[in-house]
Amino acid sequence: MENTNMTDPIDVLLVDDEDDFRQILSKRLTRRGIHVRQTDRGENALQMLEEQRADIVVLDIKMPGMNGIECLQRIKKIPGMIEVIMLTGHADIQGGVEGIKSGAFDYLSKPVELEHLIRKIKQAHHKIQRIQAEKEEAAFKERVTQQMVVAERLVALGTMASGVAHEINNPLAVIQDSAGWLQQILAKPEMQDMPRKSDFQKGLERIHKAVKRAGKITQQLLQAVKTQTTETADPSSFVEVDLHMLAEEAITLVEPEASLRNISISLTSQDPHPSAWTDPLQLLQVLLNLLSNSVQATDTGKQVFVCLAATIEEAKIIVKDHGCGISKENLARIFEPFFTTKDADQGTGMGLYVSWGIITNLGGLITVESEVSKGSTFTITLPAKK
Amino acid sequence: MFKTSSHILLVDDEKDFVEMLSLRLQENGEDVLSAYNGKECLKTLEEKNIEVVILDVKMPGMDGIETLKKIKAQYPLVEVIMLTGHGTIQAAVEGMKLGAFDFLLKPADFKELTNKLNQARERRKEQVARIQKAETAMLLRQSKI
Repeated sequence: MENTNMTDPIDVLLVDDEDDFRQILSKRLTRRGIHVRQTDRGENALQMLEEQRADIVVLDIKMPGMNGIECLQRIKKIPGMIEVIMLTGHADIQGGVEGIKSGAFDYLSKPVELEHLIRKIKQAHHKIQRIQAEKEEAAFKERVTQQMVVAERLVALGTMASGVAHEINNPLAVIQDSAGWLQQILAKPEMQDMPRKSDFQKGLERIHKAVKRAGKITQQLLQAVKTQTTETADPSSFVEVDLHMLAEEAITLVEPEASLRNISISLTSQDPHPSAWTDPLQLLQVLLNLLSNSVQATDTGKQVFVCLAATIEEAKIIVKDHGCGISKENLARIFEPFFTTKDADQGTGMGLYVSWGIITNLGGLITVESEVSKGSTFTITLPAKK
Repeated sequence: MFKTSSHILLVDDEKDFVEMLSLRLQENGEDVLSAYNGKECLKTLEEKNIEVVILDVKMPGMDGIETLKKIKAQYPLVEVIMLTGHGTIQAAVEGMKLGAFDFLLKPADFKELTNKLNQARERRKEQVARIQKAETAMLLRQSKI
């Protein structure tokens, strides 16, 4: 077989009303490793393409019913890339030109020479592959740019937020000590019979609680920023981490929370021993965060999945759920500090921000795909041991 | 050169903070003096009898660590408790290596602060007692000769 295409055979739909010609051509093309379907009418061709698309349509111009040009125009409206090679009658240059104007790849005059047709088919196929590769490359570049923009924004946000946190810490201390001072005074024996004393105590107690909460947030924030700026991951704490064992450990730790709502966590691995060259404790922290998020997003009784994959260059940890999912607007902001959709006392919006910081710092990448009410997939990519 | 009553010295550039914390400590019966920078701190140490210094790490001008070094060089028996923000824990560790008694994260819990204050005072007391004992021994020996 002389098929130069290394992957799948080229799918060709052959449309011609001359039965003998079509049968012979089909047989010959098939013998050359091309996957051929055939029909004698334009209407049928459109129907067949709707059922299963083809790469290339070889289309006769002169047919009863729908003619070739009309059929071509309709094919070109089908989404996705289908290239069309027109077959024209002998010396019907007019038809060929019209075909090309309507978007055909090229035309051949009958009688058709087989080698010539095969060459044209391959050229058309190359064009499809090239455009596809270009599209993929553009999408890849777009993704990378997107990630860079996000990263820059996160770093800027982190710097600003930590600056704010630092500045807020001092007034917080003043507030706390002012309230504490008044509490001390209220506790003195001479204040025993003060009117409405309990109201004062109540108010001071609230101030105290609120300051504690604010202090906790500034603390988390400063810690998060610290992990990703000053402490660029210390490679001396890097070891070869058995991802399977690490994932098992994370699952064991999250299981109590999951089992409360009868959610099971499954672990699958494409490799027998996937490993990464990284800091196990920090990675565990991220994994715990992702798992706990997934469990919280998942309905009672359903499942959360952890998949591991490793190549020579990189290791992937995928945490997937079929939970509530994340809306598009939220997805763009999910790694930002303080971004949360949980209630004020349920989450501070620091978890994924910290996770992002850790993974970035470990020289890895964390990405998310999600669809509302279908679920979310978080993918961590880490460098594997060289 | 015996200075009478002993004090706690609170050093922080944030005036409101110094004021509130000293009010609280005073309410607890402590004798508190304040300083708003390293220079003032050293000056107060020179003039008064200070047992414990509560020292902010981050101050403009002479910072906490530098101040600490000077305190320990000139008044080795004065105990120092460092006050740090979360970003400056590193400095707190360094401070303890340089002889600070302990450190507290801001905003510090008042109970924790008073606990540490008492511990620091205790340590100083023990140290002073040992020195006195050693001095007595020395005097006894000299008198025998």
